[in-house]
Amino acid sequence: MRKLLLLLFAALPLFAQTQITTTMDPSKAASILRVAIPQPEFTGTTFETINEPLFKPLTRDISMSGIFAIAPLPPNVAITPEVLQRINAQLLLKLAIRMEGDDFVVEARLTDTTGQTQFGKRYRGPLAALTRLAHMLASDLVRSLNGRPGPFLSQIGFASDRDGHWEIWLMDWDGGNQRAITHHGALSILPSWSPDNERMVYTSFARGTSDMYVINRRGGGRIRVATGLQLNTSATFSPVSNDIAFVGSVNGNPDIYIIKDDGSNRRRLTNSSTIESTPEWSPNGRQITFTSGRSGSPQIYVMDAEGANVRRISFEGDWNDDATWSPDGEQIAYTSRVNGRFQIRVANLITGESRILAGEGSNEQPTWSPDGKWLAFQSNRSGKWQIYRIRLDGTDIEQLTFTGENKDPDWSKKSD
Amino acid sequence: MKKTMKAFAWTVCVVVLGMFTMACPKKPKPVTPEKIVTDTAPPVVPPPPTPPVEEKVENRDFVQEKPIQAETLPADIEELNRYAQSHGYIQDAFFEYNEAGLSADAQSALTSSANWLKGDGKAYSLLVEGHCDERGTEQYNLALGDKRAHTAKEYLATLGVDGSRIRTVSYGEERPFDPGHDESAWSKNRRAHLVIVGK
Repeated sequence: MRKLLLLLFAALPLFAQTQITTTMDPSKAASILRVAIPQPEFTGTTFETINEPLFKPLTRDISMSGIFAIAPLPPNVAITPEVLQRINAQLLLKLAIRMEGDDFVVEARLTDTTGQTQFGKRYRGPLAALTRLAHMLASDLVRSLNGRPGPFLSQIGFASDRDGHWEIWLMDWDGGNQRAITHHGALSILPSWSPDNERMVYTSFARGTSDMYVINRRGGGRIRVATGLQLNTSATFSPVSNDIAFVGSVNGNPDIYIIKDDGSNRRRLTNSSTIESTPEWSPNGRQITFTSGRSGSPQIYVMDAEGANVRRISFEGDWNDDATWSPDGEQIAYTSRVNGRFQIRVANLITGESRILAGEGSNEQPTWSPDGKWLAFQSNRSGKWQIYRIRLDGTDIEQLTFTGENKDPDWSKKSD
Repeated sequence: MKKTMKAFAWTVCVVVLGMFTMACPKKPKPVTPEKIVTDTAPPVVPPPPTPPVEEKVENRDFVQEKPIQAETLPADIEELNRYAQSHGYIQDAFFEYNEAGLSADAQSALTSSANWLKGDGKAYSLLVEGHCDERGTEQYNLALGDKRAHTAKEYLATLGVDGSRIRTVSYGEERPFDPGHDESAWSKNRRAHLVIVGK
């Protein structure tokens, strides 16, 4: 069984894609486009076979894109320009699926009301790759319209205790395809992506003390980064180099340090007798936010990546932590205690204004989607810690995890 | 089987005790001619044969009569920790909310622990775990737990426990002792937990 799974995963990157055309008028991106998606045509397979792994995630992605809305088609009606007009659809996405050996060949064609092709692409892959194929197609559709891919191929790393111990897990952006990448059998927490989406750095107590580990996204190549310090928590990759910022401690004094991913060139950035924690790089790698207790309560500070020019940037809330930068570097989201309850706060770094994404329970550890339109975070509103995803405007909240307890989400930095 | 073994042990004990009391008066008695004349009867009457089962003798009586001279500590490390905690040989230090400083109670708990670690427990190494309640954030609490664990370690060291015997680790809010969500639970979870880890 294990071997079979390995084979399936090995097969994932094998599917090929063929470009047909991609021309789309960028001016159309201004408003939301209504797209009609009839049931796919298929030969050699059935709708039941492709519905769950392909059609459902595809239509869900498209409806969540913020660019397209799905125009519902009346059942059992031939699709004509008149029908499209009646349901106020500007676009039609047609899918044709056929089998070639064990591979599914999916041809997608997006046409406007005049019948002109706006996007066309062919994808190929085995059954196990169909969901990834759906996310890829949805991401390509978004890219064809506004020049940047959707978040549908991105991954969220997190910690889960569902198998008895806290281990590092990954899932798709919609909560699908959840799988463990560590098997320490010991407390393993706080994963953080490398900028190329290939590796994660995290903290594990596998040796009875908290150590820093780096692992690749498929669970191989695990190394322990010997920092020579204690704690080794809140590790996070620089977006522009092989540096890792983290919390190290000497004699009970936690401070922010940087070390290369091979364990060399350790540098100390803060030098305070108070608690310093939770570093996070700005997207250009020039600044680092962190949490410090130097004012008496945990608050968010920012400094240059060399440790100079420290200044406080959070002033509301009596306990603030978990700061994380938006992909454009203009906003930070962080955990902020308001009236005794932790909430997700989004602050604009230019204007200094901030707002709360209200929700029940305790809400912590926000992380941005690579397109900057969503946040994932953890909440105990259900009585257990689970991971949720919310649009930046506070709408479309969705619970992504359900088994065991789940926390420490970290969204991959690249869309694909 | 256990019962017969116990009975046998009791029998042996009583016989040995009997022999002891029998032998005692014999040795130091100063012998004078007058006494020989008056003491016609045999000097010591042998005790009646020991009854085969000593049902009246209970375990605690035996313990009272023959107190343990040197305390034997459990060899199993988990049992040793339970034993040392329940006897107060090692005591956890508790903290105020978002504080890593030692209260008077915490200092007294660590003083008792230091005394044992310098005395009967001097062969053992110690792990100090720093713990926090759930009201903070995970990442900051890991750092706070580190500070708490080190504060406890430093205090033990100033009381004369060799610092090289003490290791620290922070679990932050990851491993609460009391899963509750009120001050009673939180106050138990804000601690430096002392764990004996071996010799």
